[in-house]
Amino acid sequence: MRLKKYEDMNLQDLDVMKEISSIGTSHAATALSKLLQKEIRISIPEVSILGYEETVNKMGSIEELVTATLVRMSNEVNGLMLFVFKLDLANAILEKLIGKRYDSFEELDELAYSALEEIGNIIICSYVNAFTQLVGVEIDLSVPSSTVNMLGGVLTVPIAEYGYVTDKLMYINAEFIMDGDKLSDGLLMLPDIESLNSILEKLGVS
Amino acid sequence: MNEREIKVGIGDMKFARGDSRVITYALGSCIGITFYDPLIKLGGLLHIMLPARVDPNDPKVFKYADSGIRETLRKLTAFGLVKSRTVVKIAGGAKMFEMKGSGNSDFGNIGQRNAAMVKRVLMDERLRISAEDTGGSYARTMLIDVSNGDVIIRTVGKPEKHL
Repeated sequence: MRLKKYEDMNLQDLDVMKEISSIGTSHAATALSKLLQKEIRISIPEVSILGYEETVNKMGSIEELVTATLVRMSNEVNGLMLFVFKLDLANAILEKLIGKRYDSFEELDELAYSALEEIGNIIICSYVNAFTQLVGVEIDLSVPSSTVNMLGGVLTVPIAEYGYVTDKLMYINAEFIMDGDKLSDGLLMLPDIESLNSILEKLGVS
Repeated sequence: MNEREIKVGIGDMKFARGDSRVITYALGSCIGITFYDPLIKLGGLLHIMLPARVDPNDPKVFKYADSGIRETLRKLTAFGLVKSRTVVKIAGGAKMFEMKGSGNSDFGNIGQRNAAMVKRVLMDERLRISAEDTGGSYARTMLIDVSNGDVIIRTVGKPEKHL
C-alpha cells in the first residue's frame, strides 16, 4: 500500500523508522562524543507522528526560544531535516566546546551560534549517513541554515512546507545522557511522501 | 485584567465581543489577520498557514489565506460586522531560515507568498490594511484586545509593538 500522508504509517512502518532512527541517532551521538571528547549515551529514540501543536507541546512551549538547524535533502530522498536545540543541551555542548554557558539564546554570540549550527549539521549529517547506508539510497544535503527563534515559529516551517499534503510531522526524540544529565534533543525528519514510500519499499515493508 | 483570553491555533480563527483578548502565538511564515469593527466591538483573529486552498473539498478553510479570509468575513458579518467600518491589521510572514546557495529560491519564501496572497484577497474584498508588521526573520505573537481594538505584537528581544 502506498502512503498518502505520514499518518497512514502503520505500526510496522513506524517500527522500521524507529529502528533506523535508533541507528542514526547513535551515529550522531558517536560523532558528538568524538567532538566533545566526552562519553555520551543515548536513549532509544521515540518516533512519533504528531500534529503541529502536539509537537510543540512535546518539545517545549510555543514561545520558548530555541536554536534550530535546517538541512534540505535531495536526490533519492527529498525532504527536510530539522534539529532543535533547547538551552540545556546547547549549554552542555557549548561549555565543553568554547567554555561558556548562556542564560538565554538571546545572548548567543557569533562564535556560539556558528558552533551550534555546526553541531546541528554534524548530528544531521551523521544521522543521514547511517540512514543512506542502511536503506541504500543516495541523499545529498544542502548547506545548513540556522535560526534563533520561538519554537512555535520554527515548527511552522516544515508544517507549511508540507501543508498541502499533511498536517503532521515526524518527530524523533532521543535523550542524550552526558555527565548524568538527560538532555532532550529534537530531530525532525521529514521526507516527502514519495520518498517515504520508496524508503519503506527498499526496506521491504509496505 | 479580568479579561478572557482566547487562543487561536494554527490554521484557525476565533472571534469575540467586548472584554476579551484574542491571541495567536509564534507566527512564523504564517500570517495573523485581525478584523475589528469598533462600533460594535467585535474582533476576530485569523491565523493562516498557506496562500490558497487548492482542493475545494478541503474542510480546513482557515488554513488558507483565500478561503480563510472569506469564511472569516462571512462569519463576522453574520455577527454584525460591517465591512466599511472594519479595521484590518496583519502580522507574520517571516522567512525563518535563510537557505544559502540553494537552487530552491522558492523554499523558505512561503511567508512572502502568504503576505502577497493575504493582501490580494483583502483588496478583492475591498478591505484596506491599516497596519502591518510582516517579513523579517523572526516569529511573532499577535493579540487583539477586543475592548478597544488594540493590536499588540510580541517578538523576542524587542519591546511590545502596538500596530
